[in-house]
Amino acid sequence: MEPLTYNLGDTGPNKETQQANRRAAVEDALRSHPGVREAAVALDGDHLVAFVVADSEFVDNVLGRAAAGSTIVSKWRKIFDLSQLSKQAATASVGFNTMGWDSSYTRSAIPDDEMHEWVENTVGDILRLKPVSLCEIGCGTGMLVMRIAPHCERYVAVDQSSAVLKRLKEQLGTAPDVAGRVEIVESQAAQLDRFGENTFDTLVLSSVVQFFPNVGYLSKVLENAIKMVRPGGHIYVGDVRSLPLLPAFATSVELFQAAEELSASELRDRIHRRIEREPELALSPAYFLALPRGIPKVSRVDIRPLRGRADNEMTRFRYEAILHIGHDNAPVFDGEFVDWIERKWTVEDLRSLLRQKSKQAFGIRGILNARLEKDLAAMAILDGADAGLTAGTIRQKLEHDVYRGVHPQALFDLENENLGYRVFLSWTACRNDGSYDAFFLPKESLQGMALPAIHWPEPDSSAFLHHANAPGQGRICKELTDQLMAHCTQNLPPEFVPREIMLVDSLENAS
Amino acid sequence: MKGRADIHAFVQGLLDASGDDAPLVDSDSLLFSGRLQSIDAVEIVVFLEENFGIDFAQVGFDKERIDSVDAICALIESVAKSS
Repeated sequence: MEPLTYNLGDTGPNKETQQANRRAAVEDALRSHPGVREAAVALDGDHLVAFVVADSEFVDNVLGRAAAGSTIVSKWRKIFDLSQLSKQAATASVGFNTMGWDSSYTRSAIPDDEMHEWVENTVGDILRLKPVSLCEIGCGTGMLVMRIAPHCERYVAVDQSSAVLKRLKEQLGTAPDVAGRVEIVESQAAQLDRFGENTFDTLVLSSVVQFFPNVGYLSKVLENAIKMVRPGGHIYVGDVRSLPLLPAFATSVELFQAAEELSASELRDRIHRRIEREPELALSPAYFLALPRGIPKVSRVDIRPLRGRADNEMTRFRYEAILHIGHDNAPVFDGEFVDWIERKWTVEDLRSLLRQKSKQAFGIRGILNARLEKDLAAMAILDGADAGLTAGTIRQKLEHDVYRGVHPQALFDLENENLGYRVFLSWTACRNDGSYDAFFLPKESLQGMALPAIHWPEPDSSAFLHHANAPGQGRICKELTDQLMAHCTQNLPPEFVPREIMLVDSLENAS
Repeated sequence: MKGRADIHAFVQGLLDASGDDAPLVDSDSLLFSGRLQSIDAVEIVVFLEENFGIDFAQVGFDKERIDSVDAICALIESVAKSS
């Protein structure tokens, strides 16, 4: 390949033009590599930083992501098969087989009362979508099937693990009234092409997308799912691991597990390693929020923190995305949003406010999240930690801090106090501190709507740069950035070679 | 027939791949300690199926039974005795 030639720009009329020429030259060079779909270059001081959206086909076929992804899918299938071979799985109660639901903190099973709360809240959220004909992808042993199918005319339960489906069939054998409505399909999520367009009104992916090997696989599944759902229906993607909260999650788990004497620097290394080695897919809400732009059949997307009193890794670090399918003619509620940080309202303040508001809709932006406050404080301590700090001293400091956050469930509970308001919470803003926005709507203005359209505060443009992590793909990402750096070195003058090449998921809004 | 040394070497390889450079003692917990992740358990299972003919569908599966080199050796021994 002939080296590309460039106008170095130093003869340009001014510095701005020179810099623009430099950036354009690097972008051209990057785009000439087959692994690059889009490229943008920014100046960081005197240095260039390149943002690259990789070409999926190149990454899949040349760098081997497709094969690696297929291996990951097979591995998870094997894990779920194995989970049903234990003694506990054989004796689990009907509709409550929680094998595999282990806490990242204790590495033991998540307590039953917390799992019960999680499953009942998930069922409640799905039933609010009023499903009649429902398809659940990744149904497992049927925690949702056994609770939701009685409310549906048709429930198609899909899973890739034959051992898991065998267990589901055994459970359905004990409940013939439910079994009559349920069809079981053994299939990988991405190979589910047997159903025609507009077959279902509801499609559920609950606590399953974290086991997808990459965001490309998820997109393939969702593209098909969106076709399968008829206009007016919904896709419920639940228990999604939050990418913006991955650092807080890693900090929380590592601090919990650390021995008292572990130094702050070793703790930081462990947190970094946990994020790097994360085997599950974590997604930014921005991934879902961007869907309506690419797929017009998706009219809007709600991003919601989970309900729940228990503070565990599901309620603290995961969210649900609800995709509204087809034309949406619901009125948009567009009330004023007040910044929480300016008022620091407590739940008691809000209760008084709702009493005084005389049925006006209003919103609050950026409410400090009581579920995550301690983790954020730990991150702040670690950021500025001196050499003498240990995990033990950090935990002591955290015990003495004063916390002012508002628990999301405490706001949901206000709905049950005859204040006349429904409460809606959102993580649409994609903040990495887990703060959330709330909207209070007078009940009578809803006119029976379960999921009103609310004009939520928008995310910063930077939220759209990274949609997802790349579980198990560190080697592939490094190989691509190494290739691109070599390509730039070979084809550009030394002063044009970017200092850093960052792989991003989208350049949209990235300027 | 492979033995304890091969199992030790295999587990050591998994730890190396995950960036764990602490020494491996045969009694060390692998999965419950977090040194290996759940997804790594599959590597151990496949290794035991392929090299020791263990059929987990027959013998059942609990993480405790593959949580250390010692536990894996005990599992192999118990399967050999019962067959």
